Amino acid sequence: MAMSSNSTSDDALPVSVFERIFRSYRVAGFLPVLLTVLLVAFALFVPNFVAVQNLLNVLRSSSYLVIIAAGQMLVLIVGGFDLSQGAVVALTSVTSALVMVAFKDTFANEPGLIILVGVLAGLGCGAIVGLVNGACVAFLRISPFMVTLGTMSIATGFALLLTSGIPVYGMPKSYVEGFGRGLWLDLPTAFYLAAAVVAAIWVMQNYTRMGRYILAIGGNMQAAVVSGVPAKTYLILSYVICSMLASVSGLAFTAQLGSGQAVINAQLTLESIAAAVIAGVSIKGGVGRVEMVALGAILLLTLTDAMDLLRIDPRIQAIFLGIIVVLAVALDEFSQRRAALV
Amino acid sequence: MSDASISGVSLPPAAEPSRHRNTARWGYALLLPLLIVAMELGVSLIEPRVLSLRNITNILVQSSYLLLFASAQMVVILTGGFDLSLGMAVSVISVATALTTTGLAAAGAPTWLIFVAGIGVGLGVGLLVGAFNGLFVSWVGVNPFVVTLGSLNICYGLATTISGGRPVFNVPDAFTRPLYDGAFIPGIPIPVALAIVVAILLYLLLDRTVFGRALYLIGNNPRAANLAGIPQKRYLFLAYVTCSLLAAFGSLMLTARTGSGEPNLGGSLMLESIAAAVIGGVSLQGGVGGIVPAVLGSIFVTMLSNAMDLLEVGGYVQQILLGCVIIAAIFLDRVRATRA
Amino acid sequence: MTAVATNQETRAAEAARDNADLLLELTNISKRFPGVIALDGVDFDVRRGEVHVLFGENGAGKSTLINIIAGTYPPDTGAFRYQGREITYLTPHGARVIGISPVFQEFSLVPELTVEQNLFLGRELTAGGFLNRPAMRARARAIVRELNFDLRPDYKVAQLSRAHQQMVEIAKAFLTEVRLLILDEPTASLTDAEAAKLFDLVAKLKASGVGIIYVSHRIREIKQIADRITVLRDGHKIKTVAAGDVSETELVELMTGRKIGVLFPKIEHNPGDKLLEAEHVTLGDRTVNDVSFYARAGEITGIAGLVGCGKSEIIRAIVGLEPIEAGVVRVRGTAVTAPTPAAMMKQGVCYFPSDRVAEGLALARPVRENVSMAALDLPGFSRHRILQRRSERRIVQGIVEKLSLRPPLIERAVASFSGGNRQKILLARGLTREISVYLFDEPTVGVDVGAKIEIYELMKNLVATGVAIVLVSSDLPEVLNLSHRLYVMHRSRMAAELTGADINEPAVLSHFFREQQAEGAVARELQAST
Repeated sequence: MAMSSNSTSDDALPVSVFERIFRSYRVAGFLPVLLTVLLVAFALFVPNFVAVQNLLNVLRSSSYLVIIAAGQMLVLIVGGFDLSQGAVVALTSVTSALVMVAFKDTFANEPGLIILVGVLAGLGCGAIVGLVNGACVAFLRISPFMVTLGTMSIATGFALLLTSGIPVYGMPKSYVEGFGRGLWLDLPTAFYLAAAVVAAIWVMQNYTRMGRYILAIGGNMQAAVVSGVPAKTYLILSYVICSMLASVSGLAFTAQLGSGQAVINAQLTLESIAAAVIAGVSIKGGVGRVEMVALGAILLLTLTDAMDLLRIDPRIQAIFLGIIVVLAVALDEFSQRRAALV
Repeated sequence: MSDASISGVSLPPAAEPSRHRNTARWGYALLLPLLIVAMELGVSLIEPRVLSLRNITNILVQSSYLLLFASAQMVVILTGGFDLSLGMAVSVISVATALTTTGLAAAGAPTWLIFVAGIGVGLGVGLLVGAFNGLFVSWVGVNPFVVTLGSLNICYGLATTISGGRPVFNVPDAFTRPLYDGAFIPGIPIPVALAIVVAILLYLLLDRTVFGRALYLIGNNPRAANLAGIPQKRYLFLAYVTCSLLAAFGSLMLTARTGSGEPNLGGSLMLESIAAAVIGGVSLQGGVGGIVPAVLGSIFVTMLSNAMDLLEVGGYVQQILLGCVIIAAIFLDRVRATRA
Repeated sequence: MTAVATNQETRAAEAARDNADLLLELTNISKRFPGVIALDGVDFDVRRGEVHVLFGENGAGKSTLINIIAGTYPPDTGAFRYQGREITYLTPHGARVIGISPVFQEFSLVPELTVEQNLFLGRELTAGGFLNRPAMRARARAIVRELNFDLRPDYKVAQLSRAHQQMVEIAKAFLTEVRLLILDEPTASLTDAEAAKLFDLVAKLKASGVGIIYVSHRIREIKQIADRITVLRDGHKIKTVAAGDVSETELVELMTGRKIGVLFPKIEHNPGDKLLEAEHVTLGDRTVNDVSFYARAGEITGIAGLVGCGKSEIIRAIVGLEPIEAGVVRVRGTAVTAPTPAAMMKQGVCYFPSDRVAEGLALARPVRENVSMAALDLPGFSRHRILQRRSERRIVQGIVEKLSLRPPLIERAVASFSGGNRQKILLARGLTREISVYLFDEPTVGVDVGAKIEIYELMKNLVATGVAIVLVSSDLPEVLNLSHRLYVMHRSRMAAELTGADINEPAVLSHFFREQQAEGAVARELQAST
């Protein structure tokens, strides 16, 4: 064994099983445990919680949030922030509905084509907003908060402009009934969509270059650049994927709603950030795992559902949400500070 | 460490001939006023009503309200932070004040009490919001965006809850009259007069007190300020409290004007206050700004929306434009920062 | 054939051989950053199988030059020839591909990624578009074994000590085939044993024809391994010499551009009471371990040591910028619990940071505000929290003129002043209050010679008034000539306290070697007993 006079290193190898378990707990955090505890508690104490219909609802709404939160996670990892997600959902909803209605007669006998065109239009919205966000952050070096604040305003404005605030009806039945409100194997279609997204991102994070690159960009941009990582490209890509995932969620949600709406859940962005932060994604960047974010989203919506069932006013729930986010980030800050001192 | 870092970007800029930079600074300073005048003249060609006395007075009154919010935002931006909760704080303060004053009026309280209580509650709620924000940003060290995003939601929840989702009407004259009707000095409406007073006080605060000096230093280089012994946490906290108190005052004035407590009063205020501050020249990097930029920015933004209203541009389009203007202003701010 | 012709032939043949040997040839390289000329018409070449040392002070241009070679950014002017071919466009990745492997001083590591992930960052091995993790793991283990480093590939870099992080940085360079290796202060954090391993590696590479650029300011080390030495100063190449042809003194003179001994003023020594004491101080991150020292009034207490030995950290800890885990700090005999910059300032202890720009000055603010920053609570500057601007102006103007600030315009933004003047602005801050202990952290880095002299004069005058000065400096001539008492720190511990005639370079350096010899002895003993 090389004689090293360093007194600073923790290079002692953890051998015991206990160390292994402890390390994995530290990595995974309290989230799975908390979720389990809450689920059990709700099952026991909240009326109608375990009803099949309720559980399906929770699963469905979590799915929408999981998809969005996964996108927000990507942007958080590269050290950014996306305030425009809610607006992108609204814009996608409106655009896809309008396009589908516009092409209704052209493809009268091919509902599949109508849906396709609408979906493409919707995804296009996400791509464009994401590109603008990414380009402004990467090339113009503008703070992501400000850029996404601006695009949020612009996207919402457009959505309202296109519809004057009135819902857009007239999407093909197969889209709404079959996809939006349908069940495959007794589970909401949105669930499969979310599962696919999570799986894809999980593979990306663990088995592709992009996964490492975004961690590097967020963890130490200088190191990434010097090591030859095409930082700007992946930065922009992260914002594009984030917005497109918001679009995906928007498309699914619109299908379920049955109409294109410019005014969609105003708290969506905050919820996606909350889900990510609870899942251990750091605001400073460089850290984040999609499995955790999925759990975070589920936790958040389970909580919301339980509060709904307990007849707690949604407006008061908004207050709780705000408090949760602030506390979660504060905890993250504290734990980082303690880690730095060790 | 003073050698070039890996990217070579950390080398500081060295001396530039001072004459150059002074003219550049004057150039930027005059830019906005010139732009304002040019815009008004341009629009008046299409819509002559723009230059009428009534319209100009209108603009001045409107800018007065925005000035309060823009300067509130500016105080926090100076330290390198941000207050996203501004709009919703305004809403909750409006509702709380309205409920207090209508309640007291219904209970037959004397005029002076209604007025004082209204102001007290309004500023008190503002103090709470500011303290919440300040606490988490300064002591705990959380990113101001996240903290104020959280308090935004909390205020929104509170505003809609205690108002039941509907405006609280019939705010008594005891409260609204002193803050809105008429004028102390003939010709200058009360809101404008109040805004001028606040502007002067704020100028003195920023320019003549230790607190103001500390804000600029903290915003410019927090580590240097810390090393020099400036109590950062305390001043950062006070900055957020000041911001919310200014916003509270603005909310009180707006409530007096509409005569009702509106849970939606804050609506687009957050964006407008940021736009006004940034366009006026307050730098998002921190450490750059003052009352003059806030005034100019407020006038500009107000004129813009006034012109768009007169030109009958739709509300939604205005929102889009506001977003574009913000991005453009930030871009210019960045250019200014790298040039400097 | 005449003798002349034969000589010409020989010279031609030699020249031809030299050219074939030339791995890297840079001609007339210049590089400018906003407001600063980093390199001005520098020529530099490296032969195969040679160790060519780049030598110079901080700010001389060494980092810029190696960044250009490594492809981080292009030169503004000049020719870049590598292996006989002209290179017009180079990226970091491209450089590695052609065999240029840099090992940076500021690590290019991402803390939250593992050793293995960092090794392959930017050049991951893939199979069909996906990461080929087994292949990378195998290669990572192989490299670590080859280099004989004590590293675990699955550890996060953030968990490693600085020395091990340096090893990862070095291992990164060896991932691709190396033809030109660039080492930037590689032994800064290594133990003697690890440094020896590195030198073995360097020797092996030399033998196989690899060219090595070695950046260092450690004279002993340079003399040990260099073939040629190029001295840079202020962006210019001063001279390239063969290592055997130059003495240590000459090297220092070339680097600083002055004769040692002429620059430093004679400072009176009238030691008084102990104003500052550190007793058995240990920091949370162990960059300082059980360190004790004291500073007396009317005396300059120097702390010397290699980069990374902890000398900056100990004085930073005294003002509360680094977390103290154990030990006591005393000011005039009274212990200070939980020091902060503000509290220490009130006690009369003032710290001047080494990084002026990041920690010392508010660049966009005027000189006046920067100088008065630390004194805003004093009567001359404010009353009842309201600023007294006229008084402030008067006081600051006075101080600034005393320090010969050029130009003495206090309303101008600090950003428009040169490095030496910026340092004066920073020091002016220390003259706004009653300060009895000054902690200088690398005070003349990036400061031109004229300003340096003025700063030394300031120190002389301060000491004459009875204050205590603690001078932390990596500049050996500076700390040797100015200190009345000199501490030597070595790898987070206090190695020696020298006074009087004992303060000389050989003595200081020997304290490093003595400790290393001791370590070596202990190592040998342990090995013998197993």
